[in-house]
Amino acid sequence: MTVVSHREPTGVIAALSGSALHDEPAFTVLDEESKREIRRALLHAVCAPGYQVPFGSREMPVARGWGSGGLQITLAIIGSSDTVKVIDQGDDEGVNAVNLRRLVTASTGCEETTEVNEATVVQTRHRIPEDELTSQHTLVLQVPVPEPLRGIERDMRELSRMHAESDYSRMWVSLYEDKVRNGVITQTTGYPCLVNERYVIATTPIPRWDIPRLHNAEFLSLFGAGREKRVYAIPPHTVVEPLTFEDIPFEIEQNENTYCRLCGSNSSFLVQSPAQDDNWSCSDTAWCRARRTK
Amino acid sequence: MGYAAARGGLNAINNADHLLRTLRDCDPSEPLGADQLTGRLRLLVDRTMGEAGLWAPELAALAIRQAEGDITEAVHLLRSYKSTLPRLATAIPVHSNELSLLRRVVPAFREPGGPQILGRSSDYSARMLNVHESSVVPEIDPKETTPSTAPRPPVTRLMDTLRDMDLLVDRRNDSDPEPFDITRKPARPPAPRSARLSTMARAETGALINLWYRNILGPDGYLHEVTLGEVRHGELPIRVTHPHTGSAIKIGNFRISEVEAIEDLNGIDEDRTKFDVGIGICFGHNERKAIAMANLDIACHRDNGKTSLEQSILMTTDGLDSAGFLEHLKLPHYVTFRSMMERKMAMRRVSEEQVETKEPA
Amino acid sequence: MTGIFVPEPVVQVRNLGKVYGPFSDETISRTGSSFGSARDAVIGSIVAAWDISFDVQPGEALGIVGESGSGKSTVLRCIAGDVEATTGDIRLANVDEGKVNILDFDASRRRRLRIDQLSVVYQDPAEGLSLGITAGGNIADPLTAAGWRNYSAIRTRAKELLNRTEVPIDRIDDLVRTFSGGMRQRVQIARALANNPGVILLDEPTTGLDASVASGVLDLIRSLLEELNIAAIVVSHDFRVIEMLTERCLVMHHGRIVENTLTDQLLEDPQHPYSQELIAAART
Repeated sequence: MTVVSHREPTGVIAALSGSALHDEPAFTVLDEESKREIRRALLHAVCAPGYQVPFGSREMPVARGWGSGGLQITLAIIGSSDTVKVIDQGDDEGVNAVNLRRLVTASTGCEETTEVNEATVVQTRHRIPEDELTSQHTLVLQVPVPEPLRGIERDMRELSRMHAESDYSRMWVSLYEDKVRNGVITQTTGYPCLVNERYVIATTPIPRWDIPRLHNAEFLSLFGAGREKRVYAIPPHTVVEPLTFEDIPFEIEQNENTYCRLCGSNSSFLVQSPAQDDNWSCSDTAWCRARRTK
Repeated sequence: MGYAAARGGLNAINNADHLLRTLRDCDPSEPLGADQLTGRLRLLVDRTMGEAGLWAPELAALAIRQAEGDITEAVHLLRSYKSTLPRLATAIPVHSNELSLLRRVVPAFREPGGPQILGRSSDYSARMLNVHESSVVPEIDPKETTPSTAPRPPVTRLMDTLRDMDLLVDRRNDSDPEPFDITRKPARPPAPRSARLSTMARAETGALINLWYRNILGPDGYLHEVTLGEVRHGELPIRVTHPHTGSAIKIGNFRISEVEAIEDLNGIDEDRTKFDVGIGICFGHNERKAIAMANLDIACHRDNGKTSLEQSILMTTDGLDSAGFLEHLKLPHYVTFRSMMERKMAMRRVSEEQVETKEPA
Repeated sequence: MTGIFVPEPVVQVRNLGKVYGPFSDETISRTGSSFGSARDAVIGSIVAAWDISFDVQPGEALGIVGESGSGKSTVLRCIAGDVEATTGDIRLANVDEGKVNILDFDASRRRRLRIDQLSVVYQDPAEGLSLGITAGGNIADPLTAAGWRNYSAIRTRAKELLNRTEVPIDRIDDLVRTFSGGMRQRVQIARALANNPGVILLDEPTTGLDASVASGVLDLIRSLLEELNIAAIVVSHDFRVIEMLTERCLVMHHGRIVENTLTDQLLEDPQHPYSQELIAAART
């Protein structure tokens, strides 16, 4: 068993444990050694774009499946001089996003914002912000299921082999069957993409609308799956191609004759709110608000 | 009110937090002391520590109280607390022969070497709800609650007897010298035995029992029932290496449940002159978990990668993973929903076009 | 023999052997045709195949005939990579110019050979097909594995192959599960030919099919072998299959080759006593 201290470390014990630092924020969510370990895993991930790097995922104050992986990545890379933006479905005020944001700011002392151009780290569930992300940004995506081949294979040993040997033929067959059966490729969000011409990844449930943003991007994307204990990365300027046949164009969600009822936009990802036929609004609430105040 | 009303998110969750705490702390009944949990609900505390993988009875009691009795929630509190703490040392391995026995049952023999100690167990009590049980406890003679200090007769394990007769499969090998640390590295199939045992040691009790039961009775089940050698509950010392003197010092005690099991080998490719062995160990007094664990230890060994039993054990028995993922369904999914609707419309358009042109895609 | 051009074999097999269980030289010498068993009575190990050597020339179909338990399927599966050989040297002309022993390849490289170098048609079509996928999808599998990324081109090629194997084109989008045994076998053949492999292995391709269905499939295989310049190894216990499809064949008995001759000669004038027994039994 490992022996842990459950009182605030002082004096000799503090020195031994290396936690006698000077700029300690209000409370800790993740200890410093763990953050270093996570950064090492992230470095591996950046060196092998799209490869799912296993890491010793720690339990966080949010439950597994609720962003514990994204949170660990953000905590590992963020410093007190950073500014964090956290969104869920594109919304800064989603209750889970609020919860995550307060954990990050209170435990690291960093600033928070809803504006992309003020942020350095953007943690997100299921969207990429509409605003342009540049090399000043790191995008941290929360991943519920990191395995893109889960629908066609359940045995983890076989999945590991398929990725290792770049044997994605069963994925291609399932896309072929999808087109045959349904007339279109019916993958909704989290569309599988080939990264750096090597690994196929699960693009979390971001909509197809956001997929083109991953290709040859200015910004670094880090993907965190806390429950499954894996991280993966898309470094800037990496080739990212949605899996589809040459003669079947990749389709994003279309906004045919739908406009945001608040800002009038037709060129952003729209969701129905409330659930009535013509009530569409931008999923990215900060972007929408900025348009309205201009 | 929308689930994500503008600018109201922080207020909303602060209010929810406040409501939760207020209703819990202001209940008109007597306030619950942590000592009442460790003292009178010891099995709840033991089970929580076992699933958290953290021996800390007072902290477990606080967690159970804060979580209003939800074990999964209490386990989460303990594990995330552990995430904030630095590691000071690794304990020196201890053999369970040092177990100071509180209970010992040996189903395989009528008269095993050493005593059978029924100990503190409800196994033999009639399960009849006592509706008249008063919460006022009568005076009890201290002699009845003080453990005897008389030396116990020596104990011979069934395993040692069988090993001496060369009837046991030798499961020791060099490929797994250091215990796999599942808190630092995720275990994936194919995994060393220590990774499976560690995973089961802090698995959710119900999940482990269910995995066992489903596989014993199900049509495609993998498992066989074992014969139990030892079923024990007792106390062990925690020893670490002193940072200055370098010698081993005891810094405390902890309790475990330990189960040893054997299974008759009868497969074509197996050594049918021997029994296979399994071990189950977990924190505190939780015999059913240790028994399920010993059973699954042997099952995995005999299965040897033929089926995905190992994957089921490693990936589906953690209580926080399963509960968290299940409950994440409550999070907003309206972006995905919008994308799903869009694909349905696209499929509809295609089939309408096909009807018009009467041509397959 | 000067002036006669001897083509490089497409498949060259030397000393292929498969033993189940531990064994020694004595095990080998205690088993085989003259001992009446592949099983070593002393240790209990089984010498399923031993000292198997043969060549297959371009465009040639070689038969391997014997009763069940003769080791013929073991030989096929060792070449296919489904079973790990104990010993041997197998070379394919199209793989590293026939200069490497494919038994030395790791599992992943052996698997890649099955995409476009070497195909197998199994006795049970369910072994070579995914029943839950359409006929077209089963053909798309090796094509996409070989890098095909154009949906129309994949479908065109699939239709071409189904046509050639006489499967109705309008069933291209039907799940293979809904096909009869004979149709499944044709789809399996279509799939095996998708990437124009140099070598095709057929393991009892018509056993288990109704007689009338079987003869249709046999006719198809014969015409395909004639048309495509493909090297084939056909394993069967049935002499009619061997006679119809092969020019040369091996007779196996208790794991060993007892005769290696032209198919016509074997049927007319078998030399080995066991071959004679087999032929006599087949004639009755």
